Amino acid sequence: MKQAVKIITKKDFLTLVNTLLQNKTYDVVGVKAKGKRYVFDTLNDADELSLDYDVTILPPKKYFLPQYEQLMKFSLEKPFEVKETIDDQPRIIIGVHPYDIIALQQTDTQYLDPPKDDFYKKRRDNTIIIGVDIQNVSERSFAGSMKTHMTETGFDLLLTDLGATYAVTVGTEKGSTLLKKYATTKDATSAEIKKIKDVRDNIAKKYTKKVKVDKKDWSSILVANYANSFWEERSDFCMECSSCTIVCPTCFCYDVHDEVSLNLKNGQRIRTWDGCMLRGFTKVGSGEVFREEPKERYRHRFYRKGNYLPERFGFVACVGCGRCGIACLPDIADPCDVMNELASFGHEEDTGRFFIKQKTDAAEKGIIHIPRSATIKRAEVRSEIDTLFEIELDDKKPLGHAAGQFVEVSVFGYGEAPFGVSSPPSDTPSFEIMVRKVGNVTSKLVSMKPGDKVGIRGPLGNGFDVKALEGKNIIFTSGGTGMVPMRSLINYVLDKKNRGKFKEITILYGAKRPKEILFMSDVDQWKKVEHVQCELTVDKCDANECWGGCIGVITTLFPKVRMDKFDSQNTIVVVIGPPVMYKFVIQCLRTMGIPEENIIVSLERRMKCGVGKCGHCQINGVYVCKEGPVFNYKEIKALPEAFE
Amino acid sequence: MKQKPRVAVFDFADCEGCELEIANLEEEILDLIEIVDIVSFREVMKEHSDTYDIAIVEGSIMRPMDERRLRSIRSKAKILVALGACATIGGVNKIRNQWMPDEVLHEVYGNADVKGNELFDVFKTKALKEVVPVDYYIHGCPIDRDEFKHVITALVLGKKPEIPTYPVCVECKKNENICQFELGKFCLGPITRAGCKAICPTHNSTCEGCRGLIKKAEADCVKEVLERYKLSYEDIRRRCTMYNYGREECSVDE
Repeated sequence: MKQAVKIITKKDFLTLVNTLLQNKTYDVVGVKAKGKRYVFDTLNDADELSLDYDVTILPPKKYFLPQYEQLMKFSLEKPFEVKETIDDQPRIIIGVHPYDIIALQQTDTQYLDPPKDDFYKKRRDNTIIIGVDIQNVSERSFAGSMKTHMTETGFDLLLTDLGATYAVTVGTEKGSTLLKKYATTKDATSAEIKKIKDVRDNIAKKYTKKVKVDKKDWSSILVANYANSFWEERSDFCMECSSCTIVCPTCFCYDVHDEVSLNLKNGQRIRTWDGCMLRGFTKVGSGEVFREEPKERYRHRFYRKGNYLPERFGFVACVGCGRCGIACLPDIADPCDVMNELASFGHEEDTGRFFIKQKTDAAEKGIIHIPRSATIKRAEVRSEIDTLFEIELDDKKPLGHAAGQFVEVSVFGYGEAPFGVSSPPSDTPSFEIMVRKVGNVTSKLVSMKPGDKVGIRGPLGNGFDVKALEGKNIIFTSGGTGMVPMRSLINYVLDKKNRGKFKEITILYGAKRPKEILFMSDVDQWKKVEHVQCELTVDKCDANECWGGCIGVITTLFPKVRMDKFDSQNTIVVVIGPPVMYKFVIQCLRTMGIPEENIIVSLERRMKCGVGKCGHCQINGVYVCKEGPVFNYKEIKALPEAFE
Repeated sequence: MKQKPRVAVFDFADCEGCELEIANLEEEILDLIEIVDIVSFREVMKEHSDTYDIAIVEGSIMRPMDERRLRSIRSKAKILVALGACATIGGVNKIRNQWMPDEVLHEVYGNADVKGNELFDVFKTKALKEVVPVDYYIHGCPIDRDEFKHVITALVLGKKPEIPTYPVCVECKKNENICQFELGKFCLGPITRAGCKAICPTHNSTCEGCRGLIKKAEADCVKEVLERYKLSYEDIRRRCTMYNYGREECSVDE
């Protein structure tokens, strides 16, 4: 597309900025000096602009995803009163460098990918970007070799310094209108247009720091070096401060928490920046941390940039700004240094992928922030730590879930937590979840009574493909709370309407101790159904507990499966349990001759947003909340983080 | 309405500045007393009760008589919260642990005869948790009022307060400060627990570690940074003396 190019004198440009400032329609933001560094900040006068800056401390992402962002306000006194708080302040950002513009386009891809983030979208729509071609190169930047030192798109207007004037490339209608309304310009001559190219070519030459690996090769180099001791050696020097992700224009993972007023009358749900270098990033309610070793966290950041996002969206999520290199005290964060060093190890071509393309309509329909109002209909204490809830959506519409999907349950003031739905799919507006008391949300939930209100987002994720189970023998294998989503599937399969579609059914269930067995009444029912073998085991049993059954871990049940009765090739095994369980169960299944593609697993990670945005639940390149939690073992086993 | 939790505030060896931060809530105190009954708080009221659910304790433990009093508080409270650096980590009071108690007494009181007076019967400074189990910590010198409010509301709601386990750098970077190291200064932010909103570096002062260290000064990453900035192990030990003397062991669970 041919873009219009206008010429404006520098003086007239400053007048334009001052006119915008006086006009007060927009929050006018520009690059200003802060000591020896630069920042994006609200302008008071056009003279404050420093358009010849090298790099700002933080990228402009703070205007689209603020460090601290109120998503909604809620009342703690009224049953369910919540109000979205979308920021609709029109804003103009002056002086965005091309690499930051490209980073914003990448953020768009993530945040506008269905389901889109309305908060982000609103800010993006309300903001006019006036970019500027780079005049001074930051010492740590390697944008030249990343080809991100210039851009043809992503801005409304783009300034190029031609000495006494700026050439203004008009990128959008919005930019064109702004220019026409507030400034006097003339059309650029062909000589002036050529000068823009010269300016860009000159700046490319000024980069002394260069990444030697072409962007298209980052992915394969990283795959080849996954097990390299390099990650451990480097991460020994990591301060675990996440400075690298905070200053990064393409790091956009977030956390959400509730804050309450001191008088406990109301509160707000807040989104803040999170960082994958922090240990708490992958920590789930039960206390498990999925990336426990600093090496795993350190490695994750580079793979997200160079492999996971490229596999997902087709771009390397590094724009070469060099901010992380400046911010990292031990200087181990710079992707340019890391890629150059990895390249020196040499590597073989494509050795595998850390991504699975698996996304359904269901996963794209999730509500992203504001939950639906729902009422607790029934609360049954099932053990010292488990309570079964029946919840009804107040709009009386069915949840519409498939077995294996989950919901995010909100208790305002306490936060939000994911729960597998334990009731089978149904047309009624109510559904069941089992709540085990482990964290703040669950501790509050178990104290709640029928009539109390909760918020529901969902159903989220991909459930089981029940069609694929038809005509097969099925072995359900669950450990601990893995029985919660499993019960939904079992009750669907054993439902009189559906039972005829499936062949031999085997149910294997292991709990830590007898009192932790969930759904005992269901288990009793299952045992009575014809052609169903149901076996239970507990890890241990105290002397005072009554238990006549098997003692031992879940794998002790496999020898009891009457495999002679059916053919392993026509058998599907569904496995859901604690992370530690999978490895051992899958070993058993191998010896039983079950083909890998016949093993279906559902995995647990920290599912915070539930819609593939916040980044917490990632298993390598896969968002468990969006691509999972149900996976085919044969596909997911290629991901080193899946069963580590 | 459910009965409000009864809260008592106590102090030991300290400057009472953290208690003052509570008093400085000013009109918000009206909100505070809507959710808790303050039954004892020597700095701001004359009433006192020995019946309480939550004890908020400021200050370090210096003497056997302090230990006895703290144990008695602990026995009455369902929840004990350490308030401020003197209580949470010993803080500035531990500077004197570099010397023997006798030397310290002599330095301060000269040849005055303090023998046998239990007020002067000091041992090496202890943080609260060296004497009794502590349930929750409100860190800092002084504390951050928002964090105090967070902890109190969490306890009233029956939540576990969420206190950062990551370093000050996280908050400092979010505030878009120029790194103190970049300015040629030596800051303890990279190894100090966040939660203070990086108030010192944000006001162009280095972090002194008042919220406690979350990394050992001997860690490889710390050595690497010291080396890069031409600092020695001695430098960092000296810097840690102000709030973290004798605290080689770091714990993020406090």
